[in-house]
Amino acid sequence: MFKFWGALITAALAAMPAAAEQVVVERDTALYAEPRLESAQVAQLKKGADGEVIGKSGAWLNLKLQGVSGWLLSFNVRFQVKQAEAAESAKESGSALGRLFGPRRSVNVTSTIGIRGLEEDDLRQASFSAEQMRQLEQYAATREAAAERAHAAGLAAERVEYLDGRPQ
Amino acid sequence: MNLRLKIWLGAAAAVAVLGVASAASIDLGRIFDVGRDLATAATGLDEKEEIAVGREIAGRVLGAAPLVADAELQSYVNRVGRWVAQQAERPDLPWRFGVIDSPGINAFAAPGGYVLITRGLYEILDNEAQLAGVLGHEIGHIVRRHHITVMQKSAAVSAGARLAQRDNRAQFINNLIGTGAEVFARGLDKSAEYEADRIGIVLAARAGYSPYGLIEVLHKLAARGASDASLALLFKTHPQPGERLSQLGDALTPRMGQFPAGREPGIRQVSADVPPPAAQQPVPAQGARALQQDEGAAPAVRPGQKGGIGVDPGGILRGIFGR
Repeated sequence: MFKFWGALITAALAAMPAAAEQVVVERDTALYAEPRLESAQVAQLKKGADGEVIGKSGAWLNLKLQGVSGWLLSFNVRFQVKQAEAAESAKESGSALGRLFGPRRSVNVTSTIGIRGLEEDDLRQASFSAEQMRQLEQYAATREAAAERAHAAGLAAERVEYLDGRPQ
Repeated sequence: MNLRLKIWLGAAAAVAVLGVASAASIDLGRIFDVGRDLATAATGLDEKEEIAVGREIAGRVLGAAPLVADAELQSYVNRVGRWVAQQAERPDLPWRFGVIDSPGINAFAAPGGYVLITRGLYEILDNEAQLAGVLGHEIGHIVRRHHITVMQKSAAVSAGARLAQRDNRAQFINNLIGTGAEVFARGLDKSAEYEADRIGIVLAARAGYSPYGLIEVLHKLAARGASDASLALLFKTHPQPGERLSQLGDALTPRMGQFPAGREPGIRQVSADVPPPAAQQPVPAQGARALQQDEGAAPAVRPGQKGGIGVDPGGILRGIFGR
């Protein structure tokens, strides 16, 4: 019984955005009644308009803004940088001058906010690891194993043309 | 224009034409002599050499950041990656996929079928469709030979390299690779990145996934912004994610109808037994770099510690794109 309610609650949470996501319209675009380009246009949005995401379907976002709601293709908006992160970035810039002139260009390795990944110098100075390469090769999957796993996950190959019209 | 100048120009043009023609005949002769294929004509390397170059570069990246010690995870990523790679035009390359132990957000495609994705990137992915989109982008670089072409352009122009190309293949290939895995520090042309994005979308769709996983990942990167340290190298070597989204939008919008909805299976999590990724040890600073480091000596968050109060490195946009 608990399991049932747990599953139900999980499903409800998954269906619902955890928090309202704010987006800014990146370029002038229509807002559609449904997530299809053929559906009715309910509004014309201008670059810079901001709205709130209330749902998602494939490449489409369901947006609420200025008293209307409708659908648009996600690449026409940008998600706003999260407040917490903006605060981190401001902290990173350090001095009052940094705040005036924006974050310092991150040309060095230690002024970053903590997470440091592979950088240019690490790559330029990298040397071959035979042991790691042996491991990499050991994990390789055969075509058959890959296809079997894909089918088990409910995936089936589809025919889709390249976007630049080159042959398959 | 006076007559003397005309004659001079005419002679120069003739020399130029002859020069091009003789260069072309030498190249063609060399190619046909050894029976190389069309791809060889484009890159100067046959497939075996391309794989050897990629293996060396991938092994060097692994020298800088080893595989995450999670055998199940590595096998899983290989199965997903190989399935996506089977949908492209070079299915028989020796495809190898690995998650490397770096907290930065990045992925690398070495020629001949080697794809490495950082743990930092892996852990912001919400589902397997997003993984397929990222791997599809890297597979796109490999099937279209983007890196090997760039390496050739920068290495093969010197006279010495041309001689080596004819006389000593090993030396030629060493020149081509250069030091470390520098091709990943330099990056590719923007157009190659946009092309790989378009291919990534299509390969994910062909493999039965939602085609839009890569777009969701690009939204995540755009929302992190350029000041996010874990994205430092990616931002230096790629067009801005917002620009990539716009380019993909232009390519996709007229073709939306051709894409099946696809599936978004859950993604395998990194095993809880594996410690969080260690930050790379900074390389010894020299000269101007040393000064910059002193100036910027901000307290670093301990390796593996989350970024700070209220920051959830893996959680950005999870509400929208998550499971």
